Amino acid sequence: MKAFLITGASFLLSGMVLFNAYYQKKQFYPSVVYITKSNPSMAVLYLQAFVFIVLLGKVMRKIFFGQLRAAETEHLIEKSWYAVTETCLAFTVFRDDFSPRFVAMFTFLLFLKCFHWLAEDRVDYMERSPVISLIFHSRVLSLLSSLAVVDLYFINHAYYSTLLRGASVQLVFGFEYAILLTVVFMTLFKYILHSIDLQSINPWESKAVYLLYTELFMGLIRVILYIFFMFIMIKVHTFPLFAVRPMYLAMRSFKKALHDVIMSRRAIRNMNTLYPDATAEDLASSDNVCIICREEMDTNCKKLPCNHIFHTSCLRTWFQRQQTCPTCRMDVLRLPRPAPTPPAPPAQPQQPPPFPQAFQQFQYGWLPQHQQAPAAAPPSGSTSSASTTTTPSTTTPLSSPGTMGAPPPFIPPMMPPNSFMPFVYPQPPSSMSGLSREDLLNMEGEERQNIEARIHWLRDIQSLLDGAMLLINQYNTVASQMR
Amino acid sequence: MAGSALKRLMAEYKQLTLNPPEGIIAGPVNEENFFEWEALIMGPEGTCFEGGIFPARLTFPSDYPLSPPKMKFTCEIFHPNIYPDGRVCISILHAPGDDPMGYETSAERWSPVQSVEKILLSVVSMLAEPNDESAANVDAAKTWREDKTKFQEVAERTVRKSLGL
Repeated sequence: MKAFLITGASFLLSGMVLFNAYYQKKQFYPSVVYITKSNPSMAVLYLQAFVFIVLLGKVMRKIFFGQLRAAETEHLIEKSWYAVTETCLAFTVFRDDFSPRFVAMFTFLLFLKCFHWLAEDRVDYMERSPVISLIFHSRVLSLLSSLAVVDLYFINHAYYSTLLRGASVQLVFGFEYAILLTVVFMTLFKYILHSIDLQSINPWESKAVYLLYTELFMGLIRVILYIFFMFIMIKVHTFPLFAVRPMYLAMRSFKKALHDVIMSRRAIRNMNTLYPDATAEDLASSDNVCIICREEMDTNCKKLPCNHIFHTSCLRTWFQRQQTCPTCRMDVLRLPRPAPTPPAPPAQPQQPPPFPQAFQQFQYGWLPQHQQAPAAAPPSGSTSSASTTTTPSTTTPLSSPGTMGAPPPFIPPMMPPNSFMPFVYPQPPSSMSGLSREDLLNMEGEERQNIEARIHWLRDIQSLLDGAMLLINQYNTVASQMR
Repeated sequence: MAGSALKRLMAEYKQLTLNPPEGIIAGPVNEENFFEWEALIMGPEGTCFEGGIFPARLTFPSDYPLSPPKMKFTCEIFHPNIYPDGRVCISILHAPGDDPMGYETSAERWSPVQSVEKILLSVVSMLAEPNDESAANVDAAKTWREDKTKFQEVAERTVRKSLGL
């Protein structure tokens, strides 16, 4: 209603201005001169131009989007405020060539930006709605292609004007449109991926991976563009304050994309190497529904060490966020965690050698030690049911403080001779045995050296505990292979 | 068909309509967008919210169920664990990474095992037993702790208001 009133008033005012000019001068050319000379008339006409652009925006919105959803409007308003502020900041940098034409170009840039954001939101919406009509596809495609054409035109324009007339404000425009072009490409790619996904009945598993890599790539391009732009701007004009926020955002999203890609790669690697595929019996013995997507599981399932079963793809997406079992929150990354001292221990072997003998050797190597240190401590809270039988024997001698005085001879018996598990055991502490009175005294007090001594011993204990964890994991793996 | 988030939301909707838990109704606001839900929660019996019907809105992220939805009551409700603007503050709605209150263990946070039904059931139990240790609405927590009769009065007023009386 208010907008309607403003529009009406603006039309009325500009009508009056035109009429007044024509009434006074009677001819076309003198009236134009009169209007351009008169500040109030020009103000009215600028307002009219603004109203026109808003109306044009509404028409375009009607054509390309139809009704906007509440979330889209919200995003649009939020982003517009930032963009307007940044535009005002940009005006301060280019106050020398401030002219109506210049303002008009910025307004048009802002106008186009709005459509880019809306297109992004619209394409994201594809994932959310069960019904995507043909008109939706045609709208998105025509919008994206026209945006790309306009962006390219302006980049081209800016490029040639910079070549011909030297660095000017066109630099900013060229750069802004280049950024917008990356947005168009990103949106287009997302649209293509979503469309392919829509074709099939089942969710397309590798879509997320493709999306991640596109985001990474586009993020990289954007960051490079921003840095390049900053560099040129500092050389030619001044520090472009108005580009700092978007640059920061671009860098942050690039960092996030990089992080996501790394996490995803790690998740996939872990999936492939660490966890066994769930067998038919496993599936039959559980209730057969993947708790992540709530769908039946038949093939392509993985079993975690805690015996919970999920779809491979569901688990992978979850592991990108968090390395825990979704059901019991067991920390799954504790399994392949490298020991702190040795450099880069090799990953778990994919094909263990025939294990029964290995397992026996493994146990024999341990038994005597177990008898050496019979201090009975409760088993540490291991969640894996498979390992409960072996856990106490491994943890007890290592973690209970009673053994500090007489540590088991570590390395040789622990490592199965045929390199059953190529884990490198953490360096055993230098000498835990002879805790002399001097050593003990050394740890008392608040001096630096006392604290260092304490930390030293704590480190030793830490590496013992790590070793114990590794052993538990080895037992775990052996136990799960036995079953 | 479309993404896994959509599929799962549809599955949950079906489940909720087939066997709805007592005192809870929930579903998408419109069937073209499954990521905005409306829920009606009945105040649990034997509490000061008894008899009230409280509307709330659930907004799901596009990576649901990996991230938790957001829940916001769209009516006035005076409760220690509900922000004055209606947002619900319970631990299962928090992603394991962030810890706004600084006390939750990751075991009680969001995980894909949770579902709309579980969220709504926890909200019902939260209505019955406010947790004044971690107050989202400090006034409400203070009233709940120090002046139960006044809390009762305010709660009954919101109940009447929620029924349009």
